[in-house]
Amino acid sequence: MDFALIIALMPGVLASALRFATPIAIGAYSGVLCERAAVINIAIEGMMLVAAMVGDLVMLYTGNIWLGVIGGMLASGLLAILHGVLCINFKTDQIISGTVINIFAIGITGFAYRRFLATPTLTRPIPSTLQPIHIPFLAQIPILGDVLFQNRPIVYIMLILTFVLQYVLFKTPWGLRTRAVGEHPLAADTLGIDVYKVRHINVFLGGLVAGLGGVWFSLEQVGHFDMLMTNGKGFIGLAAMIFGKWTPVGSFIAALIFGLPEAIQITMNFYFPHVPYQFLSMIPYVLTMIVLAGVVGQAIPPAADGQPYDKQ
Amino acid sequence: MSNHNDFEKTSPWGLFLQQLIVPALAVVTALVLGAIIMWATGNDPLVAYRGLLDGAFLKKRALSETLVATTPYIFLGLAVAFGFKCGLFNIGAEGQFYIGQLAAVWVGYNVHGLPAILHLTLALGAAIVAGAIWSGIPGYLRAKLGSHEVINTIMMNYIAIYLADYLVGLSGPMRDPASSAPQTPAVDASAQLPRLSELPALMASPVTRFTAALLVAVFAFIVVRWWWQQRGNSLRGWRNPWVVGLISAGGLGLITYVFLSSLNRIGGPFTDRADRLHLGFFLAILVAVLVWWILEKTTLGFEVRTVGASPEAAEYAGISIVRNFVLAMAISGGLAGLAGGVEVLGLERNVKSFFSAGYGFDSIAVALLANNNPLGIIPAGFLFGALRNGADLMELRAGVSKQIILVVQALVLMFIAAPVIIRKLYRIRAIREEGVQLTRGWG
Amino acid sequence: MTKPPALEARGITKAFPGVLANDHVDLRLAQGEIHALLGENGAGKTTLMNILYGLYQQDEGQVFIGGQEVDIHSPNEAIAHGIGMVHQHFMLIPVMTVAENIMLGVEPRTARSRWLGFIGQLDYRRVESRVRELSSQHSLEVDPTALVQTLSVGAQQRVEIMKALYRQARILILDEPTAVLTPQESEELFQIMRSLAERGTSIIFITHKLKEVFAVADRITVMRNGQVVGSTTPEQATEQQLASMMVGREVLLRLSKAPAHPKEAVLSLENLSVNDDRGQKAVREVTLRVRAGEILGIAGVQGNGQTELVEALTGLRPIALGQVRIGEKTLKETSPRQIMEQGVGHIPEDRQKRGLVLRYSVEDNLVLCTYYQRPFAKGLIIQHEAIEENARRLIEEFDIRTPSARTPAGTLSGGNQQKVIVARELSRPIKLLIAAQPTRGLDVGSIEFLHRRLIEQRDAGYAVLLVSAELDEILALSDRIAVMYKGEIIDTLPAEQATREEIGLLMAGVGGHKTSPARQPVEVN
Repeated sequence: MDFALIIALMPGVLASALRFATPIAIGAYSGVLCERAAVINIAIEGMMLVAAMVGDLVMLYTGNIWLGVIGGMLASGLLAILHGVLCINFKTDQIISGTVINIFAIGITGFAYRRFLATPTLTRPIPSTLQPIHIPFLAQIPILGDVLFQNRPIVYIMLILTFVLQYVLFKTPWGLRTRAVGEHPLAADTLGIDVYKVRHINVFLGGLVAGLGGVWFSLEQVGHFDMLMTNGKGFIGLAAMIFGKWTPVGSFIAALIFGLPEAIQITMNFYFPHVPYQFLSMIPYVLTMIVLAGVVGQAIPPAADGQPYDKQ
Repeated sequence: MSNHNDFEKTSPWGLFLQQLIVPALAVVTALVLGAIIMWATGNDPLVAYRGLLDGAFLKKRALSETLVATTPYIFLGLAVAFGFKCGLFNIGAEGQFYIGQLAAVWVGYNVHGLPAILHLTLALGAAIVAGAIWSGIPGYLRAKLGSHEVINTIMMNYIAIYLADYLVGLSGPMRDPASSAPQTPAVDASAQLPRLSELPALMASPVTRFTAALLVAVFAFIVVRWWWQQRGNSLRGWRNPWVVGLISAGGLGLITYVFLSSLNRIGGPFTDRADRLHLGFFLAILVAVLVWWILEKTTLGFEVRTVGASPEAAEYAGISIVRNFVLAMAISGGLAGLAGGVEVLGLERNVKSFFSAGYGFDSIAVALLANNNPLGIIPAGFLFGALRNGADLMELRAGVSKQIILVVQALVLMFIAAPVIIRKLYRIRAIREEGVQLTRGWG
Repeated sequence: MTKPPALEARGITKAFPGVLANDHVDLRLAQGEIHALLGENGAGKTTLMNILYGLYQQDEGQVFIGGQEVDIHSPNEAIAHGIGMVHQHFMLIPVMTVAENIMLGVEPRTARSRWLGFIGQLDYRRVESRVRELSSQHSLEVDPTALVQTLSVGAQQRVEIMKALYRQARILILDEPTAVLTPQESEELFQIMRSLAERGTSIIFITHKLKEVFAVADRITVMRNGQVVGSTTPEQATEQQLASMMVGREVLLRLSKAPAHPKEAVLSLENLSVNDDRGQKAVREVTLRVRAGEILGIAGVQGNGQTELVEALTGLRPIALGQVRIGEKTLKETSPRQIMEQGVGHIPEDRQKRGLVLRYSVEDNLVLCTYYQRPFAKGLIIQHEAIEENARRLIEEFDIRTPSARTPAGTLSGGNQQKVIVARELSRPIKLLIAAQPTRGLDVGSIEFLHRRLIEQRDAGYAVLLVSAELDEILALSDRIAVMYKGEIIDTLPAEQATREEIGLLMAGVGGHKTSPARQPVEVN
């Protein structure tokens, strides 16, 4: 493969890497929000799946994609409230609570898919995906414009979220309290900070964010809901969060790395026709394991991560 | 303190029943909530549950099919529970199940000319080893590098799915060229785990019957001798465990021989030609007892449980955390692989492409419903088997997607995991809590 | 009686399941007074303070501040009433800076981002200048930009006091503040306390150390079993009186023990270096010998490498450099089990995390280190009868108060939990006993039991390595005292020659004989 061709393909590959990184990054942000407040959330996958389904459902019945986005996020937020109540108030093991939501999500989306979505009586609006927005002028910049400024809305929202969350987490009272609650909840409690409240709000926000990642699948990428369409991206998002050391900017970079194999899969398939596509499909998962194994020693989670807090 | 004294006073049976209250109410409440969801989405829950009941127990061969569905749940529940006991969360049982299937089927159709007992053992052994390797990787990564098994086992699931898809798929190396559908060849007859309906034919020769009886006798001898040693000197004159073992072994062997001989003439339950219940179910029960024995009565089990209960104390006591993490994860995966092997050798006899059994998360629910007690997993697996088996008829009768069963299962798991909800709802007092804290962060 | 008391508690009662932690407790704190609250562990002091600080709610009783009755439902309300508390275990977040720790909960925002509310921008500069101001006002040396985890224990304590001052506390509660300090650091703290009191701050000073009470308190209230047993002044009381008030009976302030007859060295360390979790050297070239028939006490402020030293000796932490010999055998990459089998018993520092599996029964905990040996196991198979028999014997011999051998260890009292550990370790064939902080958090009865037991073991010819942050314990038990400071043994002296003051200075890193006969350092570059 010659060099010129690589250059020519670059913007396309990068743009699609950014696209495929979007749900992973958003999943990671959801994880960051929850885990900085010491609630482990492995239910991001399930929350995304439910959001993807509800988003499609709302779009189908209202004819409006953006209402679908909001509906999906709220549904995911609702599941997050459940996760919060189970983990924070009932002190259920957080991974088990996450598993409950994941099973529930597979069941309820499958059920609703068969009942309402597989053979819908209504028609979806056309187009049924969020359309790319070309940012005036910026979109014309060579390469950079192709990669950054001709994207679909959720990609933009993800990019903005990266910096907003980074700011909120490290520069504001809310972020300070969130991190305090995640590191040493008792210390926060003795200073009059309501540990449960901070955790609940963070988990709920995490749920809304995960929902945004979910509707990416149905309303931005595909145009309708498919069973199990999130395909483990929520879990990869968690790995991205760990790789990104529980920071939004770090998670974003990690998500780009995890999004890349998917972006080049089609190109790879073209150049290596003898490699079965299944092996190329495995790459993101194998990569996740390798990266996680390499990084875990240095990545230190919030000190109270995963531990319920007993209010006196 | 007061709680504790209550616990001391309660009779063993009372305690046993108390432990059953929460799971039982969890199941009932989950079914009621499932009914509400069905009703709210315009289905008739009564018709649906009648269908579920008929499908699981009442219609022809329903019970045998329920037991067929129970079998993998017992193995997989044991797999998850074994991990839990060591403080490990094996979410990858499904992937290990696939890999076990693939290994078993490969040995089943590639190796020829072995006597049935060897071939079968070899195929099941391959399933165990394959599953153990598949889970051993995350186990090793967790033990050595601290990389969390939850993410890694899930990643291994996806890798297993793609691997299976490749191996069995359209141009895969394990695909049966003679078949138009993407599936592997069927395993040799010598690697098949017999169905009950096949037993009479298999046991036609007295030599086979004798071999089977001999196996039972040897097994009975080992178990009875151990048991007698444990009981100690309760019976005068019958002290020698060897004597007792030999007598029971002889007796049981004889009974087996006679039973198998009579099977040809009078037939037994589940021996209708179309009955698919296979010996795997009985193997599952045996393995459940074995796992219980390992966990409760051996030093290996003590070590695994100690690491699960308190890694710091285990380290202090000289119990290697690394070793036990890898070991427990490998045993867990081995059990899941065995589930796959049994399923393929007893039931399907080959592996079809695009199978998604959906056992991974269910088996976590089974283990938790049984409070990780290996013996409790038998009824818990039975319940889930019944739900799974009845779901088809439910879907057919009420037109409600069988996925609703997953919702019910999730709710069961939620009520088990947060018993507070059930206790508050029905105003039940708490009994002594125990269990393993699993979530320890990712570090 | 003209000025109302700064704080008054009347008839405070608080019950926890199975314990009456506070039983009609009265306390009167005058303005500008340093009021010592004296009592042994479990007397109910901390419960009372947590009620005053709004962490617990009392079942009965009233609290008055400046003569007004108040209801304190949360730390927020306590802070609003001018109460500040320095907890025994510091409530600081190690990965954050001093300024962040101080402003947490009362964060100022920059003027232009104030409208954003909780997501406005933190105003670090305002906090830092206010901290510097308070710092010079109260001569309380605190650097607001430092990371807490880099600070010494004394500095962290100053941050805690600063947290209270920043919130304009007029009543300061100090819960066992000297537990982690050297005698000299304690003296500095007392200076700070006195100067605060002179400026009108009223201080409640919780302690179980009699000497400190006499050093700093204006008034003393003694608690026992959840009740106030008396209130007095340092002028009117003697140590002996206060001690019997605390314990409820006459106590021996000094243990009687016969002189030691040490024999051959059982444990020898040569230039041992050990790293901590972050890879920093926590133990530096330590050379030590512990002989059969003696108790070697390691004194030192917590966090000077004692924990790492003990962990290295018991195989829980790798040895970075140097040599450890037990008897004639040199340890090399040795597992905890191999060390145990060499005849080393270990009473770990953290009895609940390391020493016991709290969910396991007493009988299982009693074989935690020997479950795999005969008679408790034959091959792979566990022998329950032997385990039961072992438990029956040890429960009786060590007087472990438990409803049954099957009771989970976690439900026992601290003293009985420690007895389970001691019984387990002493029932194994050992020649060296390593006891780390063996009496921490125990009641006086259990402490006496343990001290007697350690001396008995010594007299029976065991080598005992005692690591304790309680200087009194070290002085009472040891035959020789080694002082650890910043990972080094800076001196080793015979107990009969050691004075409190001298050891206190050594604990603070002052002095030390570089050529002490017990220590022949080999310089390694």
